[in-house]
Amino acid sequence: MKALSLYYEANTPVHRIDPISKLFYIAAAIAIPVIVPTKTAALLCLGVSVVLLLVGRVFRRVIPIISFSFVVLLSIIVIQSLFYHGNITPLFQAGPFVFYREGLSYALHICLRVVNILCAFAILVLTTKPSDLIESLVRRGLSPRIGYVLSSVLQIIPQMASTMDTITDAQRSRGMETEGKLITRIKAFFPLIGPVVMNSLLNTRERAMALEVRGFNSRDKKTFLNEESRSPFNLIIKLLLAAAAIFAVIWRILP
Amino acid sequence: MKKIIVENLKYRYPLTKELALKDISFEVDKGEFISIIGRNSAGKSTLCQALVGLVPHFYKGAYGGKVIVDGMEVGKSDISQLVSRVGIVFQNPFTQVTGSKLTVYEEIAFGLENMGIPRNEMMERIDYSLELLDIYRYKDRNPFELSGGQMQRMAIASIIAMKPEVIVLDEPTSQLDPQGSEEVFKAIQSLSKEGMTIILVEHKIEKVAKYSDRVMLLDQGELVDFDVPHKIFSMDALKDYGVEPPAFTQICRGLEIKVKETGFYPITLEEAYDLVVKADE
Repeated sequence: MKALSLYYEANTPVHRIDPISKLFYIAAAIAIPVIVPTKTAALLCLGVSVVLLLVGRVFRRVIPIISFSFVVLLSIIVIQSLFYHGNITPLFQAGPFVFYREGLSYALHICLRVVNILCAFAILVLTTKPSDLIESLVRRGLSPRIGYVLSSVLQIIPQMASTMDTITDAQRSRGMETEGKLITRIKAFFPLIGPVVMNSLLNTRERAMALEVRGFNSRDKKTFLNEESRSPFNLIIKLLLAAAAIFAVIWRILP
Repeated sequence: MKKIIVENLKYRYPLTKELALKDISFEVDKGEFISIIGRNSAGKSTLCQALVGLVPHFYKGAYGGKVIVDGMEVGKSDISQLVSRVGIVFQNPFTQVTGSKLTVYEEIAFGLENMGIPRNEMMERIDYSLELLDIYRYKDRNPFELSGGQMQRMAIASIIAMKPEVIVLDEPTSQLDPQGSEEVFKAIQSLSKEGMTIILVEHKIEKVAKYSDRVMLLDQGELVDFDVPHKIFSMDALKDYGVEPPAFTQICRGLEIKVKETGFYPITLEEAYDLVVKADE
């Protein structure tokens, strides 16, 4: 069964960092380039993220994520180079369009920030088991109900997809055309939706009862099967991140 | 000691006119193996759910009478308080998987985490229930990747880990293949040997005859009879209640072969064999 997550299983130092520290890292990686609005700061953060991704052996998996946003980035570059309000120095001309140096530089800065944010999130998404992330949030006071919703979605959506496949096969075996032209596919979609929705509604009621009899609504304080790692390592990471943020603020305030 | 006391239980689902349970009273002792039989919509599942508090707390609706399980009155307690006294396993193994856990081991921990059991005790209980249901070797698998029989045994294990005094099984094998249901029946037997009080709803009548201490016959929300299996399956009017007696009983009824001491027809293969072979000699 396909799990609905980009998590890549490996045993690296990056995987062992606790999810909350990774959340802190995302916050820092977004905040620092904003506080210190130079390209060097953004490049520095990006560099750190890339190193972490390499250590976590997931760098290759980031590339599809970045290329996915490539179209947006490209449009930013084109539009800013043509129309940025501070455009003075023409760089080159393509037909009637003049590309300006200032706009291009500004666009590159935006792109750098976007890629930086993507990489920071990628560290969390690619090297953390979703269930671990949710569990550590629940430990810190997230409602267990919301935690359950978040973690069950990851498993139950693939379940629904496989129900959908079963129903599709059943309908097809009774002669319904589900492949071919777009219009045929759209027509085939409607008779499928009824059974899938009904099925999920019934399952939901049964699952609600099954959860109920396992104490889901218990008012006792919840305990956890997995132990939380309490290594000083994670504290050091958080302190370092906080120090970096403070340093950035000081740099900005000082003339 | 009485584990379950039901007094004049009446229940009507919301938006319906007919009572689903009509004035039911009975008592069950500790360690008994009770089977509930009856045709579809006789009220079997409703009665099961009334024992664990889903009726009336989950469904609402009109409720009368009293159900006391292990000294706790169901109508006046929360389901989350009742879970440590009585557990229930449903028909469909799929919908009993929480879907929020990635391994069988964690899945069984779900209920214990909710109850706030300390970690060490949690692990002891999980190991015990995995061993008891013979699924210890699957502990690191994804719950959705198990076969039906394994998944149902996992569902039972996750209830057993919560250490209830009474376990209610509502047609636990109806969606399983023969091998899967055999596995589940073995598991139920080992629970019974551990001294657990068991309430089983089941259509596989030969199994009911083989394992039950007493059998409860329900029809249209009423309790028709609650007695030892021999007596229930020797009833003349059994077919009027939509229940087929075991094949062995039917054959011996045709041949007019009764167990001499009790005057009832035999209900298991072994009994029937003994009687038929002896009658021939």
